[in-house]
Amino acid sequence: MKNLSNASKVLSTLVFVSMLAALGFVFLYAPMEKEMGDTQRIFYFHVPAAISAFICFFLVFLGSVQYLRTRETRWDRLALCSAELGVMFGLIVLITGPLWAKPIWGVYWRWEPRLTSMLITFTIYVAYLMIRTHGTRSGQAPRLAAVLGIVAFANVPLVYYSVDLWAAEQQLHPPRNVGLAPEMRYTLWICYAAYALLLVQLLLRRLDLARIEEAVERLRQRRDELADY
Amino acid sequence: MNFWQRTLAILHKDLMAEWRTKERLSPMAFFSLLVLLVFNFSFELGGAALHEIGPGVLWSSFVFASLLGLSRSFADERENHSLDALLMAPGDRSAIYLGKMLGNLIFLLAVELICLPFFTLFFNLSPGWFLLPLLGVFFLGSACLSAAGTLFAAMSSNMRLRELLLPLLMLPMILPALISCVEATGLVLDHEWGESLYPHLKMLAVYAIVFIALSLMLFEYAVEE
Repeated sequence: MKNLSNASKVLSTLVFVSMLAALGFVFLYAPMEKEMGDTQRIFYFHVPAAISAFICFFLVFLGSVQYLRTRETRWDRLALCSAELGVMFGLIVLITGPLWAKPIWGVYWRWEPRLTSMLITFTIYVAYLMIRTHGTRSGQAPRLAAVLGIVAFANVPLVYYSVDLWAAEQQLHPPRNVGLAPEMRYTLWICYAAYALLLVQLLLRRLDLARIEEAVERLRQRRDELADY
Repeated sequence: MNFWQRTLAILHKDLMAEWRTKERLSPMAFFSLLVLLVFNFSFELGGAALHEIGPGVLWSSFVFASLLGLSRSFADERENHSLDALLMAPGDRSAIYLGKMLGNLIFLLAVELICLPFFTLFFNLSPGWFLLPLLGVFFLGSACLSAAGTLFAAMSSNMRLRELLLPLLMLPMILPALISCVEATGLVLDHEWGESLYPHLKMLAVYAIVFIALSLMLFEYAVEE
């Protein structure tokens, strides 16, 4: 346990340093965008958050498939913790998006394809978490959640495809392959790295917490059993 | 019995039970009509509203009715403790899924066909042959709803708070199919079929196939005791 907490301290420090560096790069180093001005700087947080969210959703899928195959609790724990983090990163995307949109589009919200798709994907994973916390009796939760985690991930491409069909002409998102100035590209890479470290650190901490929660639950059951005698 | 015989046996049982009791179809159809009525007071149906909100109103009423029917599809089995018996039957359990799914598809299609005349009446839509492609949209859309819905109904049937959770599970998941159902219905009402309709029908077919395939693989885990 001692070594683990040391590793975690090192990782925390790395996250802190990389986040400071990212802030420095975003606000001091990256050049001002010609048309959008300072508003564009939110992009350095928006895009890495979106990528982190999808990494988390993939981890939910991976954990779910592996849980059904092996029935090992650690895979279920991975799915649960990744789903929570994915929803959190999704929320960051959905908050930073409208903040950027207000000055650029004139309104906070447009039913624009990628915004809509992200919102639907987000609601699917919120539903996943609701089912886990409210719906299931102990014992069945991991199995049902695993089924849901697989279906939810398979649904993501369908969501994107159908929303594109629905509102292709309203596509207002800046294109993905836009040419970035080298300074902007370096800043974006630093933000990716900072978010990746943050994701790993939060996931590891959350997994530890989940292990402790399970241990407490076991102790509580044991106490109840003893109290029955 | 092979896989198809077992599927058809389940389907036959569900249809027979429904024929004798009518406890699902009539509440579903009536509920669907009530939703149309509620929408009328929210939006003033008829006239220009047909093209603006008509398809959305129609599919909302179908989705709500399907939620009602789907929650019953495993509730009966649970209340009569017959799901255990079904699960104990030898062979592949995905036959139970497919049989139930086909049953739900048939009930939903029946509800849609009952509601369509009322929809045309409330919206002052003069019926004609141009509505024929709607049958295709209804079929594919209902296949999507029952493919996803039957899996979620099976999952929620042994959850706590099941009536509350089925809509939470189902609504976000069926949104991609719902978008295409509404768009395709709108196109048919505007007499536009062919080129522009095809991508939506393709989308619905893909969604239904993906969900049926996934459910056949995962049903086993969803009902395991």
